[in-house]
Amino acid sequence: MQDSSILNTFIAMMDRIGLNYEFLATGYEATIWRDGFITTLYLIALLIPVSLVAGLVFAACLTSGRPFLSAPVRGFVEITRNTPTLVQLMFSFLVLNTFVSNLVGGAQNNPLTPFFWVVAVVGLHIAALHAEAMRAGIEAVPSSMVEAARGMGFSQWQILRHVELPLAFRASLPAIVNNLINLVKLTTVGNAIAVSEITYASIMVWTQRDNVVSLMIVILVFFSAINIVVARLGIWVERKLAVPGYGL
Amino acid sequence: MTVSPDNAMTTTDGKAQDHIVKLEDIHLSFGQTQVLKGVNLTVNKGDAVSIIGPSGSGKSTLLRCINALAMPQRGRITVNGTRVDQLTKESERIELRKRVGIVFQQYNLFPHLTVLDNIVLPPTKILGVNRAAAEKLARELLDKVRLSDKANSYPGQLSGGQQQRVAIARALAMKPELVLFDEVTSALDPETVGEVLQVIRDLVRDGMTSILVTHEMRFAEEISDTVVFTENGLIVDHGSPEQIFHTSTNPRIRQFVGGLGARGTVRDGEGI
Ligand SMILES: Nc1ncnc2c1ncn2[C@@H]1O[C@H](COP(=O)(O)OP(=O)(O)O)[C@@H](O)[C@H]1O
Ligand SMILES: [Mg+2]
Repeated sequence: MQDSSILNTFIAMMDRIGLNYEFLATGYEATIWRDGFITTLYLIALLIPVSLVAGLVFAACLTSGRPFLSAPVRGFVEITRNTPTLVQLMFSFLVLNTFVSNLVGGAQNNPLTPFFWVVAVVGLHIAALHAEAMRAGIEAVPSSMVEAARGMGFSQWQILRHVELPLAFRASLPAIVNNLINLVKLTTVGNAIAVSEITYASIMVWTQRDNVVSLMIVILVFFSAINIVVARLGIWVERKLAVPGYGL
Repeated sequence: MTVSPDNAMTTTDGKAQDHIVKLEDIHLSFGQTQVLKGVNLTVNKGDAVSIIGPSGSGKSTLLRCINALAMPQRGRITVNGTRVDQLTKESERIELRKRVGIVFQQYNLFPHLTVLDNIVLPPTKILGVNRAAAEKLARELLDKVRLSDKANSYPGQLSGGQQQRVAIARALAMKPELVLFDEVTSALDPETVGEVLQVIRDLVRDGMTSILVTHEMRFAEEISDTVVFTENGLIVDHGSPEQIFHTSTNPRIRQFVGGLGARGTVRDGEGI
């Protein structure tokens, strides 16, 4: 087959410079590894919108001026910002997940998977960071502009939607892109609770093959490439939203 | 037009039905600071009323009371039949604000929207007007404030005077029953003051009820039906422009009016 001959040539070439990719020719480990990439990409694709939407909601609560909304979110933001994500994930999976299992009458009835917990914990963690960035952006909107909008008859929600958020989003975009780059890297915590993202899959392979360096190189290139794309997209959006004559 | 500085309103001209704004014994404090100490003011439909007075005398607060951006602790405010002081719900206050335009010293245009969209946004989002109708009105208003060629510019690309004219157009897009102007030329370069005053002059001429806080004495004299002098949270005197600017015997008013005149803040709408 054409395909496998290219693969074999590649394996042979890499072997010559001391890198071991022999497992790619096997069915089983190659599949695990490939699925690891897919799972990581899938996590990232889900986590970016989840973190942005949750961040928006958190920021709206933080700046609502209503303690019953802002106080719980403020508490959550402080906890998630100041404690290790790995610990949050372990806690969620080992404590909250067990609690849910007991609630629904056994682990077999619990619909929440490790994958879900990674999305929830990492997504809300990054959302907390987004929220802080957006909150700062919202608070930077001059109070006189908000009052002028109020004076016209805009409701508080409309002011947030049409005035504060568009300006805050522009101001906080660099911070948000930074958070997203962290998010991409943070997906690797999934391996602590056996979500078979790329680092977990790689560990499975290299414990068999003893080819840590070979896999590590690919993992590093993989994450670098994703984050270069994220950063580029960020710059593109920034340019797209740039307002002529305005300092943002 | 009748203004009563000290007690409840009395109308001398028998045109009580023409009241569009009536403030009665307005008291307002921020914490310990008493800002309004019993203000009475009546504005008739179609009139232009200028409020002059030293900084900190409560002029802005007075205007903000009229469209419920500030709520007095005591007194009655009536705007075209609506008891503003009794509006406790934000939704009711929004209903009022739709009818009362206000323009501030800082133009406060939305910097991320084009000039056209700045004017289209309020009627579409607040009144539910459809985009096409709102845009048609916006273009008419831009024509009126002589900025048709700037429809697609962003506020940051305009001079202060141009931004302020857009802000006035934006207020008018809500088709308000009256417009409040709070020192709308105070932040402008001298050379752009005239173009903004000209827009207001046109509005007043067209019969828009206007209440203006201003330091432009000659302008106030020219366009006002009534001039009100405030000091220390009270309306000290009121009357025709002639009375306030020329024949007042009140030493504070004479000093204030003379002082501003001497400082040369009087500018006119020429050169537009
Ligand atoms: N939101 C506020 N909180 C506390 N004090 C205020 C507030 N707004 C105005 N003041 C005070 O009220 C007084 C009158 O203010 P203002 O109505 O702005 O006067 P003017 O417009 O005549 O200069 C000032 O002493 C000002 O400091
Ligand atoms: Mg003022």
